[in-house]
Amino acid sequence: MMPAHIQRALADITAETDPTLKHLKLASLVSAVFRERGVELVVVGGSAIEFYTEGAYVSGDLDLCLVSPPRLDIRTRQELMGLVGAKGGPRNWQVAGLFVDVLGEVETLARTPFDELQAPYGPVRLVSPEDLLVERVLISVYPQPHEPAELCARKLIAVALAGQVEMDWPEARRLAGRPEYRILPVLVKLVGEVAHELGKPNPCDS
Amino acid sequence: MNSANPIPVIPKGRPISWEDWLKGRRARRETGNRVAPEIIRRSSSSSDKRLRKLFNGERGLPFKKTEEL
Repeated sequence: MMPAHIQRALADITAETDPTLKHLKLASLVSAVFRERGVELVVVGGSAIEFYTEGAYVSGDLDLCLVSPPRLDIRTRQELMGLVGAKGGPRNWQVAGLFVDVLGEVETLARTPFDELQAPYGPVRLVSPEDLLVERVLISVYPQPHEPAELCARKLIAVALAGQVEMDWPEARRLAGRPEYRILPVLVKLVGEVAHELGKPNPCDS
Repeated sequence: MNSANPIPVIPKGRPISWEDWLKGRRARRETGNRVAPEIIRRSSSSSDKRLRKLFNGERGLPFKKTEEL
């Protein structure tokens, strides 16, 4: 990406007042700049939830993880974020009126691929909805009940049941039953509740 | 997208276009609103200090209203 293109993108992102679009455009720009240096990123956490659900959840943080390579040295991180005018570091920067975190290697146990959104400055990868759902369900009950995580999970379940996000339910079940999560009964109960509220069958019923 | 469901789905295994993603925003928000409050942004987090400093005491920009999506 030429410096002039980056500057135009940054001006657009800085002027953007819709928080969801601002996050998505910035994820697109940062992903493009990193991709040119052979580094693949994926959006995780609250921003990914927002892009799937439009759930009015996201704050001022954009969380990205490394897909490949799984590690990136501090100098390279600083140089790449410098290309988009970032301040700070080495794991968190301020760019275009948002904070960007580039965390470590993405934690994923799903067999499903990352989803991909063709955003204005290049493709944005999103952690799979199955990983995201099971993670939120776990956070909703451990280490103690946490309502925001449950509300995120409910919205994600709802858009999936409505056919607006493609969810591999057997994969979500499999993940929830894995030793790393051990949360299957909670997932089945929550999906059942949301399905009932929407008048849909529970896809997690075995 | 198919004719029976004019709202584009975020698919698995192939990219969704920007236009299709935009087209589905309102429907996704409305669906979520049926099972949870409209705005579910956390009231606090470990990033509170830096967020509130950047966003004039808030934790982020205000959300678009559903009808504006």
